[in-house]
Amino acid sequence: MLNEYIKTHTKAIIQYFVIDLQGIVLDTDDALFPKVKNENLESLHPFFESLTPLFSLPEQEYLFSCIHLNINDKALITDITLRTFKDKPSLLVIQDLTTHYNNYQLTAQIRNESVINSQILELRNNYLKEKEDFKNTFIANFSHEIREPLSGIRTFTEILGKTNLSPEQKDYVNIIGSTSNHLTHIIEDILDISKIEVGKLNLIEESFSLNTFIEDLIFAYNVQAQQKQIELTYSLDARLPEIIIGDQYRLKQILSNLLDNALKYTTKGSVSLKLSLNQFRAKKASIHFEIVDTGIGIKEEDLNKVFTSFEQLDTGLLKKGTGLGLAIVKNLVDLMHGNISIESEPNKGTTLSLNISFKVDDNIKKRVKKIEAEEETRSDKKYNILLVEHSEMTQLSVLKILAGHGNFYLDIVSDPEDVIPTIENQNVDLVLMDINLPGITGDVLTQQIRQMPEREHKRVPVIAITGKVFAEDLKRYKKAKINDVIKKPFDEKSLLKTLYKYLK
Amino acid sequence: MKTSKKIVLLGHFGVGKSSLIRRFVENTFSDYYKVTIGVHIFKKDIELPEDKSVSLIIWDLEGNDDINNTRPSYLIGTSGFIYVFDLTRPATYEKLQHDLNYIKENYPNIPLKVVGNKLDLVTKDFIKQNSDTFKPFVDYYTSAKTGDKVEDLFSTLAKDLI
Repeated sequence: MLNEYIKTHTKAIIQYFVIDLQGIVLDTDDALFPKVKNENLESLHPFFESLTPLFSLPEQEYLFSCIHLNINDKALITDITLRTFKDKPSLLVIQDLTTHYNNYQLTAQIRNESVINSQILELRNNYLKEKEDFKNTFIANFSHEIREPLSGIRTFTEILGKTNLSPEQKDYVNIIGSTSNHLTHIIEDILDISKIEVGKLNLIEESFSLNTFIEDLIFAYNVQAQQKQIELTYSLDARLPEIIIGDQYRLKQILSNLLDNALKYTTKGSVSLKLSLNQFRAKKASIHFEIVDTGIGIKEEDLNKVFTSFEQLDTGLLKKGTGLGLAIVKNLVDLMHGNISIESEPNKGTTLSLNISFKVDDNIKKRVKKIEAEEETRSDKKYNILLVEHSEMTQLSVLKILAGHGNFYLDIVSDPEDVIPTIENQNVDLVLMDINLPGITGDVLTQQIRQMPEREHKRVPVIAITGKVFAEDLKRYKKAKINDVIKKPFDEKSLLKTLYKYLK
Repeated sequence: MKTSKKIVLLGHFGVGKSSLIRRFVENTFSDYYKVTIGVHIFKKDIELPEDKSVSLIIWDLEGNDDINNTRPSYLIGTSGFIYVFDLTRPATYEKLQHDLNYIKENYPNIPLKVVGNKLDLVTKDFIKQNSDTFKPFVDYYTSAKTGDKVEDLFSTLAKDLI
């Protein structure tokens, strides 16, 4: 029975050929490719044509794996062995491994496609990264170039506003001031969104008084609201902590954007800001911010667009700004691990709700009082400030601001080589350092200051005054032991605040 | 008298070796990528000047990212090599010099043509920008898709073999 089954069910997978020196098939068992006896192998498939020169080399064995043969319309994937002998015809063995190799083909197809796709993806990513780097470098350079003259415009507008002007001239100065402020905001928006998109925006945590922060914020918008005859109100939950820790600059940016929009799109009625405490847990206060306006509202189909970059809804009002404001707000709230939502009804108004958690430190109160006391005691003291700056406009801006206060003597150095001798020969209390100096950068120059032999010289506070404030720039300044950075364009308040922070 | 010459195409997988052969032998092209395993063998007779003709036995080897892994039995009796890389994938030409040295050292005096394929997918500027990488080695920039320089490649190699 077994022999009968073997005879009936065995599937031949090997064919043997006896061949002469010319490649003529002298004998074969017809197992795979029948009716080839007396044929020349060369005529059956071009593979054998390459084999012919080998028939005359005696006592050799060659193995050819995975050869695709198509003979008399029968296609097989085979392993082929050729054995040559001395004074005897050669033996050719063809083994059919089609099923085995087809399985392998499938695996190879998946593997190769995956490798190729990942290589292409990597190339695309590199291409996008190069594009992104180019964009960021461009934005950084562009913003630096703009900050410099803008800084001059803002400072001198402030100074000009304090001189004796006619009411008409005052109006013009106010317009220049608000226009340059607007331009500054646009530049900040573009910079911020580009930083956020590449994950380079870092939050700076500091403690601040929530009450004062909100009062200042509302105060800044009161005039605008009064001009439009809109009621602007705010309320704070009595349970809210007085001092919180967070990035107040970014929080102000969030709330300012929302208040700006609320006032812009409200022509009558009111805008209100309400703060309440969600919960207090693990020294963290979760605060709920709600901005409600009675403005034109947003159509339901447009609600999902409001947080998208460069989207401005067709409101029928004059379009203003970059359309980045709410995209920045959304990204900043995300960065603070908070959430934001919007509800709106056309012609009725809009409600924006935010939930953000802030750390709370009760000891902060005492420290704030101590700092305030220090500020009071230093009001009579005079400080020697060394300004290292090649831009005449910035030199004049700093000079005008500091001259307006009685507390400073200002030395200006525009040649970097004069910096070290000046520090050695004069009692410099603080250095204001430009970064883009001729022939050297401010951070390298600071490193040289930090290596000066005298302790009082090498430890002098150095504050960079620059438009280059990308994360990688800030890292470089920190590495050079620069104490702080004043960002161009700066105003009187920010310059003085930073100076006093480092002056004892 | 007609002579037969074995030509072997080498290079990484997915560079278009099979497509170049299909374009040359059948004058067809498909965007579908089917991985070659083992070896496919094709034959094409071509006429050369001075009434000469040659049968090219073209071995289309499976692609390999390491030339050292090429099965030696496939290369027995080879008269000419065509080394193909993909202009759009640096991984296929990063070791170009090494691979070419391998061929020249192990198979000296055998004609070799080096081909940057998929010319239709890159710009002239790209070729210019990468001329330091390509120029010292490359004999032909081809496109199996458009047929650009494919015929030239095989017929020039055939002439070199006679």
